[in-house]
Amino acid sequence: MAYRVLIVDDSPAMRAFVRRVIELSGFDLSTCFEASNGQEALDLLRHEWVDAILTDINMPVVDGEEFLRRLATDELLRSIPAIVISTDATENRISRMLSLGARGYVTKPFLPEALRRELEGTLGAPCD
Amino acid sequence: MTDTYLRLALAESVDEVLEKMFFVRTLGEPRDQAGEPAVTAHLTFDGDPPGWLTLRVTAAAARSVAADFLGEEESELSQRQIGEVVCELANMICGSVLSRVESNTTFRLATPQLIASGEEGEPAGRQPGIPPSATTLAAQIGSGAITVIFNTETTACSTAEKHEF
Repeated sequence: MAYRVLIVDDSPAMRAFVRRVIELSGFDLSTCFEASNGQEALDLLRHEWVDAILTDINMPVVDGEEFLRRLATDELLRSIPAIVISTDATENRISRMLSLGARGYVTKPFLPEALRRELEGTLGAPCD
Repeated sequence: MTDTYLRLALAESVDEVLEKMFFVRTLGEPRDQAGEPAVTAHLTFDGDPPGWLTLRVTAAAARSVAADFLGEEESELSQRQIGEVVCELANMICGSVLSRVESNTTFRLATPQLIASGEEGEPAGRQPGIPPSATTLAAQIGSGAITVIFNTETTACSTAEKHEF
């Protein structure tokens, strides 16, 4: 099964890196969407379905925390698993994001296989 | 956090970020960089303590790490792409250092700002003054050098230090 993934990050360089890592890791990716903040992501999700969301925290307009809150209160979108990708490795932050509904948390810097494992684990996809 | 702890946290963070995300290693003390153009990013952070980080990467090294990060040929990269990658590198190093700092608050990092693009003939720009309390780390990476200046407005405490008491 090929998956549709949305990357939400205000850094174009980081979005390009995450996309490349997913493609090179062998993860079964069919379509990769990008948004530069939570609001753009919510707008995109009104007309595109995705299987998983990878989101940053510190972003303008709608940040990662508010994005997760809005996902959780949206009947149509709340079932989409969201994984946070952040430089913040503190327990406070990780537990807060998980309590807001994140299904996974990947700390930057990360190895490519760590991101693939998190994605596949969240989606219940087979790991090699 | 003593200067020694902070220097160690900074060194570990730079090494970890460069190795995992840019696939390069630091090579000890840098060669003389005097007069070399450099791409410079600066970001501030709120929290306890608040502060800022400035990252300076010599132009050749910045082009090289940007190519590694984006998987592009160096010759195909635009100045904008190189600047974005150096900003992201600054963001990751700062986040990594702060994750090693014991704090009761959650840090919030501002969006990194490019304060020098590293182009030949560029004016020096508004480089922030370096206070005596700042911690500086410089290292050689491949074709150039990287310099990180990290400063907090009040004294920080490392997780290691806290657990000693």
